Amino acid sequence: MNIDQLIALAPIMIIAGSAVIIMLIIAIRRNFILVNGVAVCGILLALLAVNFIWQENPVQATALIRIDVYALFYTALLLLTGLSVAGLCYDYFKERKEENEELSVLLLTALLGALVLVSSSHFASFFIGLEMLSISLFVLIGYTINRQNSMEAAIKYLILSGVSSAFILFGMALIYAQCGVLDFDGIGRYLMNQKDMNALVLSGVILIIAGVGFKLSLVPFHLWTPDVYEGAPAPITAFIATVSKGAVFALLLRYFISAGNYSYSPLLTVLSIIAVLSILAGNLLALLQNNVKRLLAYSSIAHMGYVLVAFIAGGRIAPALVVEAVTFYLITYFITTIGAFGVISLLSTPQMEADDLSFYRGLFWRQPWLATIFTLMLISLAGIPLTAGFIGKFYIFASGADASLWGLLLAVIIGSGLGLYYYLRIVVVMSMSVEETASKTGEPVQKKIATTILAVLTLLLLWFGLYPGHLMNFIVSIAATLE
Amino acid sequence: MIELLGWVPLLPFLGFLILVLAGDWLSKPLTPWIGAGSVGVSALLTALIGAEFLNGAMPPYRLVLGSWMTVDNLSVPFGFYLDALSMTMLFVVTGVGFLIHVYSAEFMESDPGYARFFAYMNLFVSAMLVLVLADNLVLLYLGWEGVGLGSYLLIGFWYEDPNNGYAARKAFVMTRVGDTSMAIGLFLLFTQLHTLDIQSVTIQAASQWTPGTVLPVAAAALLLGGAVGKSAQLPLQSWLPDAMAGPTPVSALIHAATMVTAGVYLIARTHALFMLAPSVQFIVAVVGAVTLLMAGCSALAQTDIKRILAYSTISQIGYMFLALGVGAWSAAIFHLLTHAFFKALLFLAAGVVILCFHHEHNIFKMGGLRKSMPVAFWSFMIGSAALAGLPFTSGYYSKHEILLAAFQSSPVLWTAGCLGALITGLYSFRLVFVAFFGSQHSVIEKSPGWRMSAPLLLLCILALLGGMLRIPLASVFPVLTAEENLHDFNAVSAITVAAPFIGVLVAGLFYLTGTFSPQRLESLVWIKQLQRFFFSGWGMDAFYNMLLVQPFKTIARLNKNDIVDSIYSGVAFLSLTFHRLFSSLQTGRVRWYASSMVFGAVVIIAIGWLS
Repeated sequence: MNIDQLIALAPIMIIAGSAVIIMLIIAIRRNFILVNGVAVCGILLALLAVNFIWQENPVQATALIRIDVYALFYTALLLLTGLSVAGLCYDYFKERKEENEELSVLLLTALLGALVLVSSSHFASFFIGLEMLSISLFVLIGYTINRQNSMEAAIKYLILSGVSSAFILFGMALIYAQCGVLDFDGIGRYLMNQKDMNALVLSGVILIIAGVGFKLSLVPFHLWTPDVYEGAPAPITAFIATVSKGAVFALLLRYFISAGNYSYSPLLTVLSIIAVLSILAGNLLALLQNNVKRLLAYSSIAHMGYVLVAFIAGGRIAPALVVEAVTFYLITYFITTIGAFGVISLLSTPQMEADDLSFYRGLFWRQPWLATIFTLMLISLAGIPLTAGFIGKFYIFASGADASLWGLLLAVIIGSGLGLYYYLRIVVVMSMSVEETASKTGEPVQKKIATTILAVLTLLLLWFGLYPGHLMNFIVSIAATLE
Repeated sequence: MIELLGWVPLLPFLGFLILVLAGDWLSKPLTPWIGAGSVGVSALLTALIGAEFLNGAMPPYRLVLGSWMTVDNLSVPFGFYLDALSMTMLFVVTGVGFLIHVYSAEFMESDPGYARFFAYMNLFVSAMLVLVLADNLVLLYLGWEGVGLGSYLLIGFWYEDPNNGYAARKAFVMTRVGDTSMAIGLFLLFTQLHTLDIQSVTIQAASQWTPGTVLPVAAAALLLGGAVGKSAQLPLQSWLPDAMAGPTPVSALIHAATMVTAGVYLIARTHALFMLAPSVQFIVAVVGAVTLLMAGCSALAQTDIKRILAYSTISQIGYMFLALGVGAWSAAIFHLLTHAFFKALLFLAAGVVILCFHHEHNIFKMGGLRKSMPVAFWSFMIGSAALAGLPFTSGYYSKHEILLAAFQSSPVLWTAGCLGALITGLYSFRLVFVAFFGSQHSVIEKSPGWRMSAPLLLLCILALLGGMLRIPLASVFPVLTAEENLHDFNAVSAITVAAPFIGVLVAGLFYLTGTFSPQRLESLVWIKQLQRFFFSGWGMDAFYNMLLVQPFKTIARLNKNDIVDSIYSGVAFLSLTFHRLFSSLQTGRVRWYASSMVFGAVVIIAIGWLS
């Protein structure tokens, strides 16, 4: 390993190092503020490092990790998301009496796993990253151990995640059995020389899709989603919904492009079926949902279906275009999802999650700004113009239409129609008048950091919705380097 | 002075804006100064412009205030066009309109919606002025619809009573039928002639279309549709009697100065089109003749003082249509002018009677008001005389001219006109004799003040002497040919003059001297039935009810649960069904979750292999 490679690994190493430092600090003295400060500093340092090593030429640091602009961009995105979640966590947990310091360690290790995923160019790093992310999440989900839901969710996620890992490992094994290599480029080279479709490789990839489908909560691997979303503390739910899914999706996209999987039409058929089912099932399940966290869980199933449509378009259009559409959509999805869960976490305490719809009744009259932010997040999720969500959905449509995926686009249209119903339902509930008897909230906790994060996210949401040009150009320049 | 023409419609509109925006903050004494004052200044301006215009050589004057819309080859300016015809209309609208406004200042004084009333009245007058001044058909249509809106607002002015709202809607919807026809007519003219400027349309039509061919006939027929709607002619006349729901000055304004004269004006303004379509022009005459008889008969059977006058208006507009139909354009406009005077007079006098007599409308409950209400009595005497067309009143000259022109065209139309004149004499003096002679049944409450009396006096003078006014319309209309070469003209003239007298005489025998008893006449069954038939306005309301309202209601009832709606409820049902289906899979059990993952993986591998 030369010095260039070492420098290229700087963000990953900084995050890993911060995790270790925090562990040591905890061993010496427990201090929630200090620990959070170190975590935030670590993330900021990593971000600085990303900025520092940003260059066009990809660096292959060992066989496992490939640091290119694509990886760096997603690294930055994940770090920023991690930063927001850390902020939300701080405000969420600061009043909690139990020991909260390990939370920062776990958050950093989960983030580390996600960073490895997006930089991975090898099945080994793929699996290591995924497991690092998952194992950290088990604990994070169950962190508010006194809430019954929380523990239940953690156990469910642990078991089912294990099942999915088994699928992925078996898929990798099948592919290795046929190709004899584990790195993506090697698989791509092998497949390019093959005349016919290979049943082993095909099964392997489908098994990987099944395993990844679990992480992305795609139908029919989606059943865990609402339970875990509901059980996890709200900031952690935001983390699962964004970092975990985004990183896995980025990896899948890189794998499909590098390993030349797009030329396998059966894979696209399978993915199309999964996409349509996810869009329809996700939206239909959300319709009458009265638990806001479960509702957002179902809606996230549908949103992953939407991104999958752009993903599938890669079979017919240039990969750069797919990267552009997927990346833009993921960014808008990140902003709105963190925003939405941020509002929930702002209203929640570690003892009581503000997830019942009745809790939001009359929020417009009690906390108008918060209700406005939530409304903006929801209409962005619904894809209504002037918000970033609209531009994201427009990208999905553009790529789908370019690839003539009319059936999938029809599903997107139906799904968006259904989506409006339940998103606007929350807005309607928030604007209803409230009976004075519902004032059971005692002394409200000041959550300035979370509020600031929400404000920034809202501004970003409107900025990308009104002037998407800058972001678009930036993403285009990244997508262009992936060839 | 003539450059200020634009202010004539603008001033009432400004009055409307002020009253509508600031009406609630204005002090009550100030309101009529704005409402009536704006129209008054308009009238003064009109008088000055008229003096200048009539003294000169009277070349048509055009004033373009700006562009309204310009799209491709369609350009519609805010352009006004002043010739002898629009000048006449200006006099009528502003002059009579102003008198009615002054009258309203007292009549409506105790009404809580005083400012609102004047706002609507100003809007109404302003729209009518735009209508008569417009140099293109689109602007004319704007005024046309503005008049419709104004009438709707004013008829339903006392909106607390649902019946008034009903009457307002009826007027609006029925005239809308005509408006639609007119709009289609405008589209036709534009697609064929590529212009909507009235003068260009006239010239282009004359040069491009051969008389009697389908295009001019269609265009004229469609415009006629609009005209019969606004002017309450057969078959769209039944809204006018119900329009009495509004305050009495409103009725005066609708009947005399605005609204119903719009149709007559439209046909006169586009007379060139009608001359290219002789068949339609003949229909105009027939419509006029039939309407004047039908409405006259209906007026005979009414007992409500305002409804009698309403039917008389329909009948008199029928005369105007008759005149238009036989090509006596200037006679029609002349009758429009004189009719405006005496009908405004009659309505305002009726308003005095109603206001001072316990808001009573039934003439049979009045009686003997001759002594207690001299102003109203003399107004009614003069107005009725003019309405019946008794010699030396203004109505005499105009109606005489129409009937002579009708005779030249067709003796049948003339006969109808003469019969109509007889009936007019009968019903107008029936009203006078019943309400003002005989014994008084009860005492009056109060006497009208100067603001009500002065307009009445002025209108009395105009109704008497209006016949002397000679606005030279020859510059606008083609002169009727063959005016003097008839030998039996004297006989015709004599009958024409005599007809109303016979009517007055019969009315006198029945209701004044009591020589014949109306009660005995009514005891005959068929007379009673005929009376009932006339009373209902020839059953037109029932007819429309059966033809349109009932089927519509039936369809609405059949489609109560909206067939289209079931599509949406179907979608909702489908969504909910699938929602429940998917939700039932959400069991919360880990073993089911895990096995579903395995099952899903197997299925997608199978799909992958098979495809």
